[in-house]
Amino acid sequence: MSAFLQPGFWVFVLALAGIYGIFALGLQIQYGVGGIMNFGHVGMMAVSAYTIAVLVIKYQWSFWWAALLGVVLAALLGALLGLTTLRLSGDYFAIASIAFAEITRYWILNTDSVTGGTQGTLAIPNPLGFGGYTDQPDAILYWISERLYPLFGDEASRDMSMIIIVWPFLFLFIWISSRLQQTSWARVLRATREDDDVARSLGKNVFRFRLQALIIGAVFGGIAGVFWALQFALLAPEDFLRIVTFYGWMILILAGATRVKGLLVAAIFFGFLYGATRFLEFWPLSLLSSPERAYLRVFLIGLVIVLLMVKRPQGLFGKREEMVLE
Amino acid sequence: MKKQSLTNEGTSEGSFSHPALLDVKNISVSFGGIKPVQNVSFSIKENSFTSVIGPNGAGKTTLFNLISGMNKTTSGEILFCGEPIQKIHAHKIAQKGLIRTFQGAKIIRRLTVVENLMMAVQGNPGDNLTGFFRPKSRKFFESKARDEALIRLEQVGLSKFADEYAGILSGGQRKLLDLSRALMASPKLILLDEPFAGVNPTLVEKLLTVLADLRKQQTLTFLLIEHDLETVMNISDRVIVMADGKIIADGLPNSIYENELVVDAYLGSRRKDS
Repeated sequence: MSAFLQPGFWVFVLALAGIYGIFALGLQIQYGVGGIMNFGHVGMMAVSAYTIAVLVIKYQWSFWWAALLGVVLAALLGALLGLTTLRLSGDYFAIASIAFAEITRYWILNTDSVTGGTQGTLAIPNPLGFGGYTDQPDAILYWISERLYPLFGDEASRDMSMIIIVWPFLFLFIWISSRLQQTSWARVLRATREDDDVARSLGKNVFRFRLQALIIGAVFGGIAGVFWALQFALLAPEDFLRIVTFYGWMILILAGATRVKGLLVAAIFFGFLYGATRFLEFWPLSLLSSPERAYLRVFLIGLVIVLLMVKRPQGLFGKREEMVLE
Repeated sequence: MKKQSLTNEGTSEGSFSHPALLDVKNISVSFGGIKPVQNVSFSIKENSFTSVIGPNGAGKTTLFNLISGMNKTTSGEILFCGEPIQKIHAHKIAQKGLIRTFQGAKIIRRLTVVENLMMAVQGNPGDNLTGFFRPKSRKFFESKARDEALIRLEQVGLSKFADEYAGILSGGQRKLLDLSRALMASPKLILLDEPFAGVNPTLVEKLLTVLADLRKQQTLTFLLIEHDLETVMNISDRVIVMADGKIIADGLPNSIYENELVVDAYLGSRRKDS
């Protein structure tokens, strides 16, 4: 348990929370505002992260241009998902979105010559040798670490530099998102969440509104993918399993799907849950090995979602009365 | 069953003095083997008030669904302001000024009462994502829309609920909200689907007063589905009677009572007994 007292643990939790906060923000716009049940959000993250790795390692692109293209591709993937499946009603769309993300992951898994396949980005063919892709941003992270060193000493790690980069973006995106949710665009989208027919009968192109929400969410998913790629500096297909989408859902449900600002606290709670399980060393968990304990997070996250659904479906910050209006 | 024309008033043949706002020409729809609307034709003049009556399952709501684009016709043509609309999307039909309400008053429960009205406004720059980058025009439009919505709510006695969730309203109040919302959408023609059903007499009075006021302004055209014959007779210029997906009678309200087909299909024993 002493790990929880280490600043490095909390730095990691905050760095992770920042990335997953941006990831969940995409789901918040899609589901919290538009009622779109996207269970394939991880696909957007995978596309942008892998775009960076492939373009930088294989084709020696600049990290920044590759990141930009990665986000654009995530948005296009969101558009493609929407154009092909958004006319499906709620549950069917949710299933289609899972399939979409799985297709993306399997494509990554089986295209060894491009993505490195099962071995991950280390195996991406690179004419220049070692397959790293974070040299350019690492220079910035190192520069930040140097500036932090006088304040934090040895705790001024790469993770801490990530916090300095990611959290301002998270605040900025939450601000943009909360402003967006005050517009009549979001009002119409909230109406479509309850009843398509009403919106259509009042002259609103429901498909357009929902497609836009899906694309905006995909952009946030893509940006989270950029930060993910930067944080872990090495990618493998199993980083983008279905469960990752449900990490985002847990944050969303915990925050209260309609409450964008609650994401901050919920993301930190998730980051703690994600990072802490490995260090739960008391009996009987001490009978498990460290990697086995790490997988407790899946169990705990499932448990939290179930408990929230039963006891507090509106989340920590949502309004109870919104849930009971019939 | 042959349609009996009781009078020319209001039919396409008799509407020389006013242009037809809505022209329904021989429309039909089939869902599998079921044909809820078969070869239905009629015209609606501007500034008129027409009611559609008929027994349950006569095809009235399906007719509204076809006119408003919620369902597509299998055959036939629908002209609104002279333009064919049977193949275009429902939201585009609404943008042209053909607005409908729903049986059972579909309100958006988790929007406030005033937001329910504000979402109906047409041409709101904030409805487009580009509006996000034009905060001044967006806010100006929003403030104007809110003012208009509050006036509408005042008219129907719902202004005290303006900032409450619409989900807290009673059934009757929801009908008032539904009507007010339709009026916010800059309509030329409003299709009202049983607006008085399940509403207490006081609120019915309120709704009728609102409709009567609107009629006085002579800027709107109404097509109403209603089962309460007394209300229909009092408010309508013309009554269309449907049964089994077809129009069986079409004419002035008073003449409906004299029509044998209508008596058999709809008024039934009630009339015979009286």
